[in-house]
Amino acid sequence: MPDSLKLSSIAKWPWAVLTPVLLFVAVSILAPWITPYDPAAQDYSAVLQGFSQEHWLGTDYLGRDMFSRIIAGARVSLVAMSIVLAAALIIGVMVGSFAGYVGGRTELVLISLIDIILSLPSLVVALAFIGIIGPGYWSMIAALTMAWWANYARMSRAVVTSELHQPYIEAARVMGAGHLHIFCRHILPHVLALVVVYASADAGALVLAIATLSFLGLGVEPPTPEWGQMLVDGMNYLEQYPHLVILPGLALTLVVSSFNLLGEHFALKKVPKGLSKRRLGILKKRRAREEMNMLEQEAKA
Amino acid sequence: MSDSTEEPLFSVRDLVIDLYTEQVSVRAVDGVSLDVYPGEVLAVVGESGSGKTVMTLGPLGLLPEGVSVDIRGYAECSGQSLLARSGKELARLRGENFGIIFQDPISALNPMKKVGPQLASQAMRLRAVSKAQARVIALELLQRTGIPDPEGRYNCYPHEMSGGMLQRVMIALALAGNPKILIADEPTTALDATVQAQILELLQDIQRKENIAIVLITHDISVVAQMADRVAVLYAGRVAEYGTMEDVLTRPIHPYTKGLLSSVPDFRGQRTEPVTGIPGSPPDQSSLLPGCRFAERCPAAQHQCREKRPALVEMADVNKAHRVACPIAVSEGWGQSNDS
Repeated sequence: MPDSLKLSSIAKWPWAVLTPVLLFVAVSILAPWITPYDPAAQDYSAVLQGFSQEHWLGTDYLGRDMFSRIIAGARVSLVAMSIVLAAALIIGVMVGSFAGYVGGRTELVLISLIDIILSLPSLVVALAFIGIIGPGYWSMIAALTMAWWANYARMSRAVVTSELHQPYIEAARVMGAGHLHIFCRHILPHVLALVVVYASADAGALVLAIATLSFLGLGVEPPTPEWGQMLVDGMNYLEQYPHLVILPGLALTLVVSSFNLLGEHFALKKVPKGLSKRRLGILKKRRAREEMNMLEQEAKA
Repeated sequence: MSDSTEEPLFSVRDLVIDLYTEQVSVRAVDGVSLDVYPGEVLAVVGESGSGKTVMTLGPLGLLPEGVSVDIRGYAECSGQSLLARSGKELARLRGENFGIIFQDPISALNPMKKVGPQLASQAMRLRAVSKAQARVIALELLQRTGIPDPEGRYNCYPHEMSGGMLQRVMIALALAGNPKILIADEPTTALDATVQAQILELLQDIQRKENIAIVLITHDISVVAQMADRVAVLYAGRVAEYGTMEDVLTRPIHPYTKGLLSSVPDFRGQRTEPVTGIPGSPPDQSSLLPGCRFAERCPAAQHQCREKRPALVEMADVNKAHRVACPIAVSEGWGQSNDS
């Protein structure tokens, strides 16, 4: 593999990784102001149009502006993803850390529950949950949270268990620190350091899961613009108007892969690495000047 | 023991090692020249951070990843230069010439692998022998390092053995490639006193019987006294004093060596002066300044000490091999008057 294509080389290009993610977030936040049309507004005088001056990315079968819908869809994905991720993270870290910290039978019960959830594909768990409480935006969020927290719980528990036996925890205990203090001040930072890195890569998978559920008609309901939803709408016109499927698909692919790269970037950042050749060169030059200086001073003396 | 007419096995000349990170640039080794002769024990002593480990492991390319290293000067082993080599060549040279014993055997051995096979695979790689031969070699190595019941121990996991036994395995592992030089990086620090004595005895035994040179990195003066033929005292990346063990330990000249020796408590209570230690702390090695690095803490420091870095000079009248980097102590006999 050429050097520039190695996964480790992305650590050298933080902006190449950060830009798509930041762009996605910025577009999502600014969506209501930058969409040229109301993404839900139907215009029967202009259905299934190609790219044009008025409609940059064309229109769908109801005459809705594709550009506006993709941008608005980004916002829906981001909001849903953030809620699920935050909820799963909080529940997972709390349950997992509690299990790891308390230990004994409580840990056994909790970890068994976590293992059961993890043994099932997360989408199956989400589907089963939606089957019970019915489809809809909030039930999609609840279902995905149910399916997602176990991963974080397992990681948190593993970190807590290993940190708990470190000498510095014992030292803190000897100094009279309470359980809450030990957990929040000494253990939680370790847990978060790992979990947050994982979450940054997980965000992509979550965006995909949201699109999948919406694609199946179990998530975001029409007319709310959502990428999975747009894929379904476009399916009927796949042969004549492939851009209706390709464009939201492309958006999805870009966001998912950029989040994956972001996660990889964070993971690689934790590995200590030497300086870049350029930086090392600068430091060496500086050192050489310093050395010359010293020798001159010594020669004078 | 050997005399200096022999060719050195491993030598460094004017070795300068700079370590660079984003935050600081540290001159860990500042112009060190040392030789290791066949069959001799060279002890490298100094405080933590004096550069003893970096000096020995740096030329072998064994410094931790994540730090950018700049090595200048010259380092060679059996006539072959060690610097400016690719990782692969250096790995071959290391395997052929060096064996390394680390401080903590439990983390230097793979906990998932039985000790015998660990040894055998090393022997297989370094001596290019068959699996069956490697097993024989491994058993013989265990035998040689004084492990009782080598056959039985062959299939033990590291966690099933005591610290002293593991250190023996570690030594066996270091010997697997028939090295010419053993580098022992604080080999007894993690062991208790009785085991420590046994391990030192074993090392000495190996050195005498097989004529293997040992570079002993330590800050334990009693270990030096028992093992070493020659001693190099390092301070802030420079050699302060170098000589035979007797010269350096019983007739120290450099104020730092004296300070170091007077910091060692004597449990028999024969010492007449109290344990004094050295006031202050080692200097910041991130900036390059003229003058002796020890001047700030030195009881004999004079004005000129802060102007020029002292060169390592031979004590011409006493012993050619005894070298000291302190013009004041050498010329004014500051040491002699304060000694005895």
